[in-house]
Amino acid sequence: MPDRASEGSGRTGLAAGVLLALAAAGACAPLIANDRPILARVHGRLESPALGEIPFIGHILSRSGPAALDWSAPGPEVRVLISPPIPYSYRGIRLDEALLPPGRKHLMGTDILGRDLLARLIHGIQPSLIIAFGATALALLFGACLGTVAALRGGLADLLVLQAVQVVSCFPPLILAMAFVAASGHGGLLPLVAGISLSRWTGIARFVRGEILKERSGDLWAAAWSTGASLPRLATRHLLPLLAPPLLVMAAFGVAQSILIESGLSFLGLGVEPPSPSWGAMLAEARGSLGVAWWAVLFPAAALMLVLGSLCAATTDHPAHGGAENVGRTASG
Amino acid sequence: MTAFLMRRLAAMLPTVLGITIVAFLILNLLPHDPILIWSGEGPPPSAELMQRLREELRPDEGPLARYGEWLLALARGDLGRSIKDGRPVGAVVLEALPWTLLLNLCAVLAIYGLAIPFGLLGAASPGSAADRLGLWTLLALYALPSFAAALLLQQVFAVGLGLLPLHGVTGPGEPLSPAGRAADLARHLVLPTACLALSGWAYVARYARAVFRTVLAREYIAVARSKGLTLPRAFRHVAANAAIPFVTLVAAIIPGLIGGSVIVEQIFSWPGMGRLYLAAVEGRDYPVVMGLTLMSATAVAAGHLVVDLLYLAVDPRMRESLLRGAADA
Repeated sequence: MPDRASEGSGRTGLAAGVLLALAAAGACAPLIANDRPILARVHGRLESPALGEIPFIGHILSRSGPAALDWSAPGPEVRVLISPPIPYSYRGIRLDEALLPPGRKHLMGTDILGRDLLARLIHGIQPSLIIAFGATALALLFGACLGTVAALRGGLADLLVLQAVQVVSCFPPLILAMAFVAASGHGGLLPLVAGISLSRWTGIARFVRGEILKERSGDLWAAAWSTGASLPRLATRHLLPLLAPPLLVMAAFGVAQSILIESGLSFLGLGVEPPSPSWGAMLAEARGSLGVAWWAVLFPAAALMLVLGSLCAATTDHPAHGGAENVGRTASG
Repeated sequence: MTAFLMRRLAAMLPTVLGITIVAFLILNLLPHDPILIWSGEGPPPSAELMQRLREELRPDEGPLARYGEWLLALARGDLGRSIKDGRPVGAVVLEALPWTLLLNLCAVLAIYGLAIPFGLLGAASPGSAADRLGLWTLLALYALPSFAAALLLQQVFAVGLGLLPLHGVTGPGEPLSPAGRAADLARHLVLPTACLALSGWAYVARYARAVFRTVLAREYIAVARSKGLTLPRAFRHVAANAAIPFVTLVAAIIPGLIGGSVIVEQIFSWPGMGRLYLAAVEGRDYPVVMGLTLMSATAVAAGHLVVDLLYLAVDPRMRESLLRGAADA
């Protein structure tokens, strides 16, 4: 029987590692797969159009250079110094290269519009992750606050929170997100984030409430209380740091579930709007070439399975130990 | 028994009331003009459509008054009329209900029928190569979204091998005999059932393995085995003890099945409630969205009730204590 504490911290580390690797790949997508160079010399000045496509950093670093420059057919004044390893963008439509099988030129083949699948896969990480991280952060905030209030206040507040948790967890997550997206009318990321977080806060609230109630009868509580700490101080300075590692594991699992719901919504045409790539939307597009292009189905499916599987492995008991205590249930089945 | 059932039903009332509140809040309290939202983005809606939308949404009244009226209508069993064709929502849903029930029932049977033998096999030789391979397979299947699985299965079995129909519920051609029709339906059921059951199956199988391992490690099994009891006979003793945790799992897999139905029914053109829901969300058919959202949550709540009753069926201790509790009350 391995030491529980070290096993717990190992899982926290693994979960954090998987999340960080994904976030890094998502953020650097324009540098990995792009039809614009990473570094080029234009009229004797160094330009980095690929860097400019990275959110936030790109806004700071990129100068207002010749933005209108056509990089697909650069003139003689342009000298490309460093080009990305995958020289295709997620939106470069080339009908003459439609449905090419995987080969040396396109490692994963191309889709029905001739877009490089590998480039689209890499660029698809970012919108999915922004939505999943956003929804999980919102759910963490909401769930932790409600759970803390319920545990510390007790009485009617506790009853109301528990009842709310019970009621909301009756709604299948995908149905809840679809209803919210329908009612919010217009596209954009915000309805998706909010709609997904609607179903994700309940488990967190229940967990935080339970842990605080457990701590309340322990020594830590008595010690902190005897120093005259106020309730909010107790909650934020003493309890939440204690709960942070298990909450991180729950958050990583939440990110996996959010990605699952997001890709489901995108598959149904209610999620990320084209042409911005999403793994769910890529699979929906692959339905059009079913039977002609197996690669358009296989690679996005494998990518989803890999990411969700590694997140699940990091957040549930390691499958090699055969544990079955799971934090929640999958969202869209 | 009746007293217990009545008490459980009464305890469900606040939950069901809460479900109506949450469904109403989600679909009504966003700070937009509801008529604008639900009339869609296409060409400007006709006067008749606007009239229907006004009737359903009543934008002039306050939210509390609207909720009250909606709840009263609901209590009478009136879910409103579909914006699309003006038919009562109840009738529209009833048409789709049997298809979804059939699909989900098959999925539950597939989940349990396949997961329990798989779990037993793993538990019989924990730590062996086959066991570990099985666990990794389960993790991979658990992580595979149903729509990805559906496309892969369609690719292999419908397009590649041509063994099974791609989608729909009936094959083309002449009307068949009743037996032929049943066989045809069964053929159309295979792929949707497999996709819907997939992640639930992986979940239950992993759970089953853990449960059987715990139970097989008990002392009385070790004693019985040392006295020469064969493994299959040992399983027979284990089954009754292991049944109880599985009952709880029914409640855990129902929300996933309902959500999964939306995706699976859409892919396989299955004329059930999930496809109806997606069509309603896409077509901005407010009463249908509302009715189905409400029903899905109520179905999950009802699932909890069924689980309680199943507990009574499988666990005599529970029966004893609950019935005594009822007699005391």
